[in-house]
Amino acid sequence: MADYLEYTLDKFTFKVATDCLYSPAGVWVRAEGDRVAVGVSDFLGQRSGDVAFVDVVPVGTVVTAGDELATLETIKVDIELPAPVSGIVAAVNEKLEMEAEVINQDPYGEGWLAIIEAGDRPTEQAGLLSPEAYLEQMKREALEELGE
Amino acid sequence: MNEKERVVIVPCSGIGKTYGSVSREAAYRVVDELRPEESQLVALSMLVMGDETAREAVAGSPAITIDGCKLACARKMVQESGGTVAQDFAVLDVYRRYRKFKPKGIAELNEGGQQLAQALAEEVSQAIDDVQQELPQGEEDA
Repeated sequence: MADYLEYTLDKFTFKVATDCLYSPAGVWVRAEGDRVAVGVSDFLGQRSGDVAFVDVVPVGTVVTAGDELATLETIKVDIELPAPVSGIVAAVNEKLEMEAEVINQDPYGEGWLAIIEAGDRPTEQAGLLSPEAYLEQMKREALEELGE
Repeated sequence: MNEKERVVIVPCSGIGKTYGSVSREAAYRVVDELRPEESQLVALSMLVMGDETAREAVAGSPAITIDGCKLACARKMVQESGGTVAQDFAVLDVYRRYRKFKPKGIAELNEGGQQLAQALAEEVSQAIDDVQQELPQGEEDA
């Protein structure tokens, strides 16, 4: 079971799972051998609002870090999520098709987006943030969002 | 059927929110066009204020609530006001069934929002019919 760093601002509490790395866009990455699971951080999910629909690129798609991996349609915005690492999409979370709300309900668990086969040392790719670094980025963004 | 036995419709009061606008538009269509004789609108804000007439309305008749977000203010306020929620609709859940009707706009809903409101209004109307069928015979014919 993952541990979390937490940040509370106003009525919101945002969790950062400590067993993940993070892209600056708010996509988490959890290494599982030569594969990585990816998903949406709790902060990005709460900031974006309840998810209505998710479209993830098909299994077999070759993605380069920064390419579009998925799109989220929420009650507030439409978001294009960039792939946090390069590789081949090995699996997508089919549950999201009928229950997109799990992204908000369980962002680091049942709400995962995709599994990417990323080769050796998949998370040692440029630009990923440690949980502590992402927490600091998240704090800045949260404060900006509330105009403080 | 007298006024008190109409099904109460309580939509979201989320101001500045597209889904709130959809909930209210759907409610207006129900009480103005689709089931004018079978429903009555109660403002969520009046329940929040503790308005006696609004509280009596929800306490005396089954209610259908339409919530714009997961805070579910309409459902909660009806319950806190002593009412019975016969069915709660969440705009997001309805949208998930009608993806082609993508709502946008607040003061003025786009075409998708209007279509979603209509679809929601039709589901609410069906729910009103179901609720009234379950009412004891004497109440329905009073």
